[in-house]
Order: sequence, then structure tokens, then C-alpha cells
Amino acid sequence: MSEEQAMRRRIAAMQFAMWELHLFLDTHPNNCDAAKKLDDYKMRTEKLVKEFEEKFGPINETPQNTSRWAWISDPWPWEKEGN
Amino acid sequence: MFVYEKRLQYPIKIQNSNPALAKIIISQYGGPHGELGASLRYLSQRYSMPYPELKAILTDIGTEELSHLEMVGTIVYQLTRNLTPQQIKEAGFDTYFVDHTTGAYPVAASGAPFNADMFAVTGDTIADLNEDLSAEQKARLTYDNILRFADDPDVRDPIKFLREREIVHFQRFGEGLRILTDKLDSKNFYAFNPSFDKP
Repeated sequence: MSEEQAMRRRIAAMQFAMWELHLFLDTHPNNCDAAKKLDDYKMRTEKLVKEFEEKFGPINETPQNTSRWAWISDPWPWEKEGN
Repeated sequence: MFVYEKRLQYPIKIQNSNPALAKIIISQYGGPHGELGASLRYLSQRYSMPYPELKAILTDIGTEELSHLEMVGTIVYQLTRNLTPQQIKEAGFDTYFVDHTTGAYPVAASGAPFNADMFAVTGDTIADLNEDLSAEQKARLTYDNILRFADDPDVRDPIKFLREREIVHFQRFGEGLRILTDKLDSKNFYAFNPSFDKP
């Protein structure tokens, strides 16, 4: 696995943890431990994303946060090369 | 509104084509317990939910199901690369191929196309949440059945991830139902519709 791919996976794992905490907080809105954990993951993810983007360019692109050329570039998520 | 993020929720990188497996897995794209029905069910049921926790959980799980639809489509796409006519025939993929080539069409493994009869939106919170609990179990057992036929680790890995998500969603919907029942009149626990029968 290349360094780029390994970092991409680490970031995806952090984002998954954040999503899982977000769902948990839907039905446990008063749980301070989970809310604190979510903040912690958010900070760590932002740091990793910054590090990634300085080295390899945009990640987790949405139409709002990317350039038109990066947006239309292959690979798309369903292609093997994109994973 | 929705914004597309250009990534999968979980990585999928399948090295070997397998049209016979694609023919089974397509059921989670458009079959009776599939991700398309799941997403439409939750995103449609949320409008009649009476409490903020329930509006949130249906919106979020309904959205996550869309990313699972994308993952199932991705598995089918990667399993059907570079096929020969002979491979297609031998795998029994020809009956799908004749209409859809290797495009992803929402259909059950048995051939029945996607149909909104596969889910309900009743406007009744108790009925809807109980359906959601059942739906998560049905999706989980379908992934269990897929795992019986899949021996390629490149396929098993993302399928196991999807199976696990059904279990987590079941848990969250159970908590949602608990939040609801805690707010019902204790003398009239099951025959009361809080979204409709307001005083």
C-alpha cells in the first residue's frame, strides 16, 4: 500500500468513527463523553486532512470544496483505482 | 439538501471478476431488503416523526443507506469487469446481461425489479419504527446469505462491513423506539399515535 493510500484509509477510519459517534448522539444527545470523543476525533481528523492535502492534493471532495478539474478527474469512487 | 462526497464509506478493491456473485449481490441494490428501499423508507418516514431524536436518526440512517447503495453498486461494477460471452453464459449472468449489459439496475436476484411495495410509510411512529427494526434484520440476514456464497476476501470484507452496519442501525432504531414508548401514556401504551392523535 502506498503512503497516499495508507493515509487515505487512516482518514476514512477517523471519519467513520466520527459518523458512528454522530449516530449515537442522535439517540443520546445528553451524553457528554460521546460528544467529547467526537470533538477529539474532529480535531485529529482535521490535522490529518491538512497533512494529506499538503502532500497529495484534495481529499473528500465535494462540489463546493474542489476545483472543476479535480472534480471531474478519474478515478471515481466505484473504480478500483479510487480505493 | 444533499451534497455528494467523492469517496466510498468503506474501500472496495476487487481484483477478480465474478458475474455469478454479482447476480446474487445485486439483490442488495434493488431487492426486497436492499439499500435503495432502506434509504427511501427512512427518508420518507422521517416527515411524520414527532421527536427530534427520531427525525435525526431517520435522516442520518437514511443518508447512510445511500452510501451503502453506492457500495453495493460498486461491488457489482467491479465484479463484472472484462467479461467474455462464455463467462457470462456459464455464470448464468446472461439473463441480466441481455437487458442491462453490465450497468447497475435495481433488481432482486430473482429478477423482480425494484418496487416501492417493498417498504411501508404509515405515518404512525410505532408502526414505522417497528418496520425499521425488522428491515435492519432482513438486510442483515441477506448479507449473511451472501456471505454463504462469497469466498473472495475482496468481496467478503465490504459485505461484512455492510452487515455490521445493519446491526448498529438496529440498535439505534431500538433506542428510538424506546425514546418514543417512554413518552407514551402508560395506560395506553400501544394503541396511541402521537403524531396524529394530538389533543
